[in-house]
Amino acid sequence: MSRQWRPIHVFGHVVLFFGGLALVYPILFMVMTGFMTAEEYAGTVIGPFPIAKDPTIENFMTLVGGAGDPLVRLYFLNSILRTAYGLVWAVLTAFLGGYVFSRLKFRGRDTLFLVLLATQMVPPVVAIIPTFIEFARWPLAGGNYIFTGGEGILDSWWVYLVGGPAINIMGTFLVKQSLEKVPFELDEAAKIDGAGTFRIIFQILMPLQFPILAFIAITTSQAIWNDWATPFFFTTSNELQTLPAAISRMSSLAQNPMGLPNYPLMITLGLGITIPMLLIFFFFQRYIVQGLANTGIKG
Amino acid sequence: MSKQLILKTDAPPAPRSGVRRIRSSVFYRRHKDAIVASVILGPMLIWWLVVSGFPTLFGFFLGFFEWIGVTNAPKFIGFKNYVRFFQDSVYYLALWRAIWIGLLVTGLTIVGGFAVALLMNLPLAGKGLYRTMWYIPVVTSVVATTQIFNIFLDANNGVINNILKSLGKEPILWQYSVGWGVFWIVVYSIWKGIGGTALIWLAGLQSVDPVMYEAAAIDGANRRQQFWHVTIPGIKPIATFVVITGLIGAVQIYEQVIFITGGGPFGQTEVLVYRILRDGFFDFNLGMAGASSVVLAAVVFIFTVVYFRYATENERNERKKAKGGRTA
Repeated sequence: MSRQWRPIHVFGHVVLFFGGLALVYPILFMVMTGFMTAEEYAGTVIGPFPIAKDPTIENFMTLVGGAGDPLVRLYFLNSILRTAYGLVWAVLTAFLGGYVFSRLKFRGRDTLFLVLLATQMVPPVVAIIPTFIEFARWPLAGGNYIFTGGEGILDSWWVYLVGGPAINIMGTFLVKQSLEKVPFELDEAAKIDGAGTFRIIFQILMPLQFPILAFIAITTSQAIWNDWATPFFFTTSNELQTLPAAISRMSSLAQNPMGLPNYPLMITLGLGITIPMLLIFFFFQRYIVQGLANTGIKG
Repeated sequence: MSKQLILKTDAPPAPRSGVRRIRSSVFYRRHKDAIVASVILGPMLIWWLVVSGFPTLFGFFLGFFEWIGVTNAPKFIGFKNYVRFFQDSVYYLALWRAIWIGLLVTGLTIVGGFAVALLMNLPLAGKGLYRTMWYIPVVTSVVATTQIFNIFLDANNGVINNILKSLGKEPILWQYSVGWGVFWIVVYSIWKGIGGTALIWLAGLQSVDPVMYEAAAIDGANRRQQFWHVTIPGIKPIATFVVITGLIGAVQIYEQVIFITGGGPFGQTEVLVYRILRDGFFDFNLGMAGASSVVLAAVVFIFTVVYFRYATENERNERKKAKGGRTA
């Protein structure tokens, strides 16, 4: 593609660059305040470009190695484990669901799919409080008799293991859409060559769907990684918090006028949440655009 | 196909293991798809019912009960919660605020995102870099970035007020004024959402078949005509997606309200989802939270239905037009 320099291109460069800079500015601000100590932060008049007089990397050390606050390492680990688990489930269920709804013929298939899609319209917040009650009354867990008393599975790893994955309906929809473009003859050819159903699913169809699966993986991992509400509402012990939940707790502590909130540490932890997702986006961004363009979201 | 079948029957009979006997039974062959589907889908559906289907239904159900605290027994009160919803100004104002803030955010994000996507679609050097810059806010965590906005907006030592002070102007109590509170909630939402919307628009722009542009160019269409007659019709399907998901998401904005204004001053920036969480987790008024959830779900449903009707009507009209054109 030959690059031309028409006025619109100059305009595009200017808008995209300066607009992008404005969008990135809060992140740059985070990096700069990360070099301050809590005392210095509290003692200075914060300007648009806070440069630490006496830069320290203590906050970043806490973030990476858990120095100063051993729980930080645990938050990180919890975040990673939870995201990995949810990610595997989301991709697997989206793909298998998409396969079932696009390739197999059985009675009630389209109705079932429509019902699932319709439930997608119900706002997730509708389910938060009932889920809380359900988890609190989970039968035979947390000192429960069936249906009465106790804590159920609240404040335990079960919250993440059970509460995270279900059917990823949006993903199922995308995979279905994309699988329908793959000719049916491919399955048949594989079947004739002696491949079983699961071999067709995992060795023949799955690799073909890589862009859309990557898209699903990226978007779900972002959602789970940044989710603060589940740990915040469903768990209480420090050992179970993830990074975002830990920050939300710190910030509600910060409203307490008695203590000196460690803003720089909070901000550095925030940066710690951001950077992994940023790297993932940077390396896989073409799959996001490609995945979306290939499946062709048809409303 | 038939040749293959003959080959299979000619093969020596397989040893009669259990699995093979099932696989060769008539019942299995006739219902193969349904069996495979239920093996794959069954566990997934059961899990889905437990963690998503049941809570959603239960949420609708809760609206008919008075249930304060998890320990008390629920009491059936019919539609009283709903009556209260529309009598107590706290609730319907929260709903109203959620709707207009949602419309404002969606409108601005979609228009702005489309403009940005058009620019990103130009053959510019360093497109990947721009894409990443604009997308960065989308991947950030709400709790982390609202803290930054709080630092900017803080009344005493906030960045913006410090600048105002150094210019000799009066500092403004951003988070304690209704208008500014809503303003910053909207600004934050746009900051967070515009890159994602732009990327979806970009995907839409790129999925328009380039052959169409060539054909239009051969027919003598200039760039503006190509835009109106090729690009716009080509991205209509994605427009439906962007508008619906955008609206549904924006009506449910609550995190920025929690972390930036805290619903203040005097509950004047509360939106409905914020209200639901307050009712459920701080006041333990589970019945009221359930009723509010139902109203919210109804609003989302209405948005979707209205938009779908509009979209399909458009499509029908176009089909009619195309048909009329062909017969004339």
